Amino acid sequence: MTAPITRAEAEDLLFREALLIDRQRFAQWLELFTPDVEFWMPAWRDEATTTEDPDRELSLIYYKGRRNLEDRVMRLTSGLSVASLPLPRVVHQVTNVLVLEADQDAATVSAAFTCHRFDVRMNRTDCFFGRYEYQLVRQDGAWLIARKKITLLNDTVPTVVDINSI
Amino acid sequence: MDVTRFVDDRPADGVFRVNRAIFTDQTVFDREIERIFEGGWVFLGIESQAENPHDFFTTTMGRVPVMVQRDGEGTLRGFVNSCPHKGARLAQTRAGNARLHVCPYHSWSFDSAGRSKAVKWQKAGCYSAAFEQDDHGLAALPRFEAYRGFLFGSMAADVMPLADYLGEAAKLLDLVADQSADGLELVPGQVTFTYEANWKLQLENCSDAYHFTSAHPSYIRVLERRQQELSADVVASVWENSDYWKEEAQGVAGGSYSFANGHVLNWGIFGVTPAIPLYESAGALAERHGEGRRDWMFNMRNLTIFPNLQVAENASSQLRVIHPLAPGLTEMRTWCIAPKGESAAARRQRIRQYEDFFNPTGMATPDDTVSYENCQIGYGGMAQPWLQGYARGMTATVEGGNRFSDLLGMNPARSVLADSQLCDETLFHSYYRAWAQRMAGGDAA
Repeated sequence: MTAPITRAEAEDLLFREALLIDRQRFAQWLELFTPDVEFWMPAWRDEATTTEDPDRELSLIYYKGRRNLEDRVMRLTSGLSVASLPLPRVVHQVTNVLVLEADQDAATVSAAFTCHRFDVRMNRTDCFFGRYEYQLVRQDGAWLIARKKITLLNDTVPTVVDINSI
Repeated sequence: MDVTRFVDDRPADGVFRVNRAIFTDQTVFDREIERIFEGGWVFLGIESQAENPHDFFTTTMGRVPVMVQRDGEGTLRGFVNSCPHKGARLAQTRAGNARLHVCPYHSWSFDSAGRSKAVKWQKAGCYSAAFEQDDHGLAALPRFEAYRGFLFGSMAADVMPLADYLGEAAKLLDLVADQSADGLELVPGQVTFTYEANWKLQLENCSDAYHFTSAHPSYIRVLERRQQELSADVVASVWENSDYWKEEAQGVAGGSYSFANGHVLNWGIFGVTPAIPLYESAGALAERHGEGRRDWMFNMRNLTIFPNLQVAENASSQLRVIHPLAPGLTEMRTWCIAPKGESAAARRQRIRQYEDFFNPTGMATPDDTVSYENCQIGYGGMAQPWLQGYARGMTATVEGGNRFSDLLGMNPARSVLADSQLCDETLFHSYYRAWAQRMAGGDAA
């Protein structure tokens, strides 16, 4: 019998994910996701509520399937996107981690995040903040991300927000 | 203002140039706000944003906060969203429903037709007779008119009727409105972004066929990858199912139309393909509107209604409102615009295509807006003040329309028929001719 995930284990996964993005180790970052991962950042419907149904309402980002994230990484690192050259310097701070539900092979985890981004191109610093909601699954003994929902609270986008600054 | 300092328009010499200062000069910007955004027709929103009795939405014309409100009888009106008492903004949200607006500062109240309901403690206020005789209702926009569900307002009263202002370009709004017998709607979820560059860069980019393969190669590479590895996980792309923009494409691939008052269309032949969500209605639309108009609904169409409305139907369908904040700062409010009543599958496809291409969190728009910022930085260099970006198509542009506009019974002022590499720039002339007309003359009202 394996034990449900602990908060320390969940933090370890979330902090590691943040570090991989911050260090631009995107190939390793992608390995944290299941092939059928749902990666979702809703848009805001009005002042108080985000969109809830990605099939009928707009999202800022919605992908089902890791291959879509691979596309995003490919674009980000291709050298062919002027918006991604040079890549901004980012640091993610992930806090308030809570294990909301957990059994042996699955867990729901929430967290808060801030991402500080220094856009070297424009000599401009931005801060993005919000909440994460994760579905984690244990596969072959390792915890993977089966769903990541990002609620971006400051959603007036200063020119660009890519997958590395949320 | 001597507009020839900013726009060098000499058709007989084959010259059309725009001075870099038009994008950076604070006096130019202030005058644009006064003459263009607060001095003539400006797009406000679409009717479905205030669908039901007492619904309202808010927006901005230049510096003017605006509220568009439907009253209990169903009449839509446009007001300045500001209390006549001390000027406080009245409606605080982007949209809502209110029979009564109560100012949060001193509780003056207004009904959904903008009439004053109460001045708090009026009897005890020891007001003069002059005050009692004043109208304490909301200031109506001097002009407010609708065309096919597209709502426009003007802070100047002495403007031509909206139908005249839109002119022949109205037929391109028809192509949007006619995609469903039920009309149009905005998909829930508004996306707002800013960029640190002039508003006219957005005006131009929407009409700029020349940048696509240069600014978006990373997006095109993603599309190619998806095409090779089609699976249920990826969304069919309109671009990969069309050849008009590819450099090896042969023959007429599209072109441009220019209209009076600064409206323009950049278009390309897409064909009636299942990659377009409208495909499910292809037969019905041909029956209702004829094949010619139906095919036009499937064409790539980037439409600008000067100065602030763009309807881009290419990778998906986007409604954009341009809001200038400073010479080097612009806010864009964007929505996915869609025909009402389309199937759940078509709507889903439209939304997915939209997010990837149009969102500032997607894979194409940031490469545009960052390029605008690079332009804005580059405008600091005045060694060559006259830009050379208005010259492609100079020997291809002709007066009037062509066989494609004839299909719509549309008579543009000028047109260009293009292969994939012509990438007309003369349609920008229409923007700057309208601009010069509005900006010229003295300062006297």
